Amino acid sequence: MKVLLVGCASREMVIAEAFKRSVHEPRLYCIGPFVNPGIHRICKDTGGKYFRGSITDPNVVADHAELISADMVFVGPEEPNFRGIPDEVERRGIACVGAKRAVAEIEMSKASMRDLQWKYRIPGRLWYKKFKTFEEAIPYLKEYAESVALKPARQAGGKGVKVIEDFQVYLQEEKRELKYKHAKTIVERYMSRYGDMEYKLLIEERVWGPEYTLQCFTDGRCVKPMPVVQDNKHAFESDLGPETGGMGSISCGMNLRWGVDSDEAILTMEEVEKSAEIVWKMIDAIQRETGERYHGVVAGQMMLTSTWGPTIIEMYSRFGDPEGVNVLPIMKSDIVEICEAIVDERLSKVKVEFEEKATVVKSVAPEGYPEKRELSKGHPVWLDEEAARREGVGVYWASVDLREDGSIVSTGSRVVEFLGVADDVPTASEIAERGVGYVKLLDGWRLFHRSDIGSPTSLRRRMELAELARDIYKYKERKGILGKRMIWMPGKGLIEVG
Amino acid sequence: MTGILGLYMFDERWRVGSFGRYGLLALQHRGEETAGLVTLGERFESVRGFGTVDEVLSDSRVRKLGGHLCLGQVSPYKCAPEDVAPLMVEGRWRVALILDGKITDIEGYRWNPELSYERNVVKAFSEDLSRYDNPIDAVKGFFEKCRGGFSFITLDGEGNMVAGRDPLGVKPLTLGKMGFDGGIVSSETCVMDTIGERTPVSPAEDVEPGKVMVFTPLSARMETVATCPRRAYCSFEYVYLARPDSYVNGIPIYRVRKRIGELLAEENPVDADVVIGVPATAIPFAMAYSNATGIPIEKGFEQTGRRVRSAMKPTQFERLKGVQLKLNVIAEAVRGKRVILIDDSVVRGNTMANIVYLMKEKGAKEVHVRIGSPHIVSHCPFGTEVPPEDELIGRHLSEDKIAEVVGADSFHYLSLEGLVKAIGLPKSQLCLGCFTGEYPEVVG
Repeated sequence: MKVLLVGCASREMVIAEAFKRSVHEPRLYCIGPFVNPGIHRICKDTGGKYFRGSITDPNVVADHAELISADMVFVGPEEPNFRGIPDEVERRGIACVGAKRAVAEIEMSKASMRDLQWKYRIPGRLWYKKFKTFEEAIPYLKEYAESVALKPARQAGGKGVKVIEDFQVYLQEEKRELKYKHAKTIVERYMSRYGDMEYKLLIEERVWGPEYTLQCFTDGRCVKPMPVVQDNKHAFESDLGPETGGMGSISCGMNLRWGVDSDEAILTMEEVEKSAEIVWKMIDAIQRETGERYHGVVAGQMMLTSTWGPTIIEMYSRFGDPEGVNVLPIMKSDIVEICEAIVDERLSKVKVEFEEKATVVKSVAPEGYPEKRELSKGHPVWLDEEAARREGVGVYWASVDLREDGSIVSTGSRVVEFLGVADDVPTASEIAERGVGYVKLLDGWRLFHRSDIGSPTSLRRRMELAELARDIYKYKERKGILGKRMIWMPGKGLIEVG
Repeated sequence: MTGILGLYMFDERWRVGSFGRYGLLALQHRGEETAGLVTLGERFESVRGFGTVDEVLSDSRVRKLGGHLCLGQVSPYKCAPEDVAPLMVEGRWRVALILDGKITDIEGYRWNPELSYERNVVKAFSEDLSRYDNPIDAVKGFFEKCRGGFSFITLDGEGNMVAGRDPLGVKPLTLGKMGFDGGIVSSETCVMDTIGERTPVSPAEDVEPGKVMVFTPLSARMETVATCPRRAYCSFEYVYLARPDSYVNGIPIYRVRKRIGELLAEENPVDADVVIGVPATAIPFAMAYSNATGIPIEKGFEQTGRRVRSAMKPTQFERLKGVQLKLNVIAEAVRGKRVILIDDSVVRGNTMANIVYLMKEKGAKEVHVRIGSPHIVSHCPFGTEVPPEDELIGRHLSEDKIAEVVGADSFHYLSLEGLVKAIGLPKSQLCLGCFTGEYPEVVG
């Protein structure tokens, strides 16, 4: 069996590793704009090959799939989904695991995602407004917007989102000013390179609570949830610093427990089930809307909010990165069997099981990431993979390029991710931490990571935060006003939204 | 002591002046004599002067400031105009500096008695700058040479902010955040509640003694520069200095103050009709005292004019003026009653005598004074405003004698053990020098 993997980050490296573990012993091929040294080695080990090439051009990917007579194509990142790679591959008669253009809309267009959620009245829907131009948004920003999230209306590689809390009236002038500036930046900078979207700017109500990612396999008939993962978006220790694609993530059991035998958890099982139900409802809705089947991986990037309980922040049409690195290495089921079941739409009959383990992923990035990426590019990376593995650490190459001369250089994002697996999260965190000593940049440029991910303090805080959000949404549930927002407008009366 | 504050926004589009102004307002209780703000964007800009935050840093003045980074300080010290913080250190780099506590010695520097304390620190720092390759190392290097009990924050022209505490941790320093936009370093956590993000879980943590928090345009990280096995957390922060809604060294001030009230009731019980706390610091003591004994609490005073911290005023005239305006006794609350009157501390005893006199004049039958801290016997080398030792009533007179001097029917301090118990930390981790005269040996 031959499998072509599309993509070259650490997320794709865990996918490659899962294929390598399969009893079906597939030959693994990979295509990506850069050469990931880890995937490169796995391809070689399994008798496959690595191609350097575009993954956003459907013909290039499909041609390679035909060239190697692939039995199956597995798409890792989101952008190939948006560009219709799965559509073209399938058109040429090759099985594909990856969301087609039409259904990947739930990630690609943040505005359509919200439209859909409201149209089908799916729980966990935030109040929002979409705009085609900056000018259109001005009156709204002036009059209504208080605490909001400003987002590019299209998934733009995770960039451009800004949450502005505007509740202290004495700081309102500065906050309003920044809202204008940022709304303008979204339209003029982040969205300028994408011509494929009518709406440019999305303004959503700001919510608080612990965030989490629920990743599922789906064949369009059911979803099979994986253990919930919690990502850490702040660049620096103590949850400081700008938003990144993720500096590391934790998981333990289905509901983010402290340890495998622990009763302490960030989520209740009921909340996990509700979240899975929401993700399924999104799949169901997009399929009804487009008439297209969803074959692949879907994830709800969610938050336990005081307004709704489980709430969708964004949808992913693929594994999260680094969240995928938490779950795939502890998946007991065979990925080949899952993929075949997805393609044949008989996923409900296949068991998708994971080891009961705590996992912690820590990303290491060159300084400059995430805001000044040019500075984080082009640094030669040294990594003693063997030594790290001997210490029990999982090692996953991320945004690097293996050059012809054997050197490995950073490409502007996280360079490597370390995985610790143990019976509780703090121990898994300590294991992942050991890996950090085995990587450096040969030109002396500074690397950074977060040692606090999965620490007892950080876990405790997230549990406390969840409890506070839970108390409030449970109160609303009891009152029958979950998701409802009521405002008394003096002189106008009661305004209800939701 | 002073109140210090540093704001570091990662997004250069922010204008941070108002954040600094309202952050300092939350620290106003740490000093009302000077206020100052320095911002940095393309260049340093500043507003500083004598008076309160509202007087010096008006909305219209701070809104004119550009810049996404800032340092601010309020101070209870009168000083020369050029010494109003933030201080500017000139040399190989320009560095703005704010300090809480006191530097008592600088390795390799001879203090010039002709110059003020501030000028000496600036001179020593500016001479030291040229020895380093970059401003971050210069700040770390300089403060490693400093002895004393202090917290500091610096902001250099290259856009780096460094905040740290001496290895004993005498003065507090906390770290908070503003979502994805920035970080806040300040004397107390109440600043985070005022300008920080609205997160329901305590957003602040301590900058540990001997560590520095370094912000650069590309990173934010905690670094260890010195380790010391012992701590000497200022116990006066818990009794009086910090705001009751703050956390100091991870301990909620409000919890300590309630505990003090309970212990006062345990240590020297007395039969009485009402409990009255001297506003504002002693109110939690009095509430807890009342809850523990069942003796009802009453509002005993009404203030005239705006709220001031009378004990921090530099002259006797201003302290008495503060007390007399702040503490008009509500006759109906005390007439014909036996009163337990609780205050946080007694320094010279003059203001206490004034209060007891006013209370008896309004018809209180008995006044039993209880003080939420032990007797103050020593001048603080780390900058807490304790007057010269010959002015300290507790150093020279017994409790019985003080009762007579202030006109009270009984007078008792909280015991030293009681204070330690109320704070909840081992004695070896506290600086109790103002009550014992023994100060920790300062180390580098």
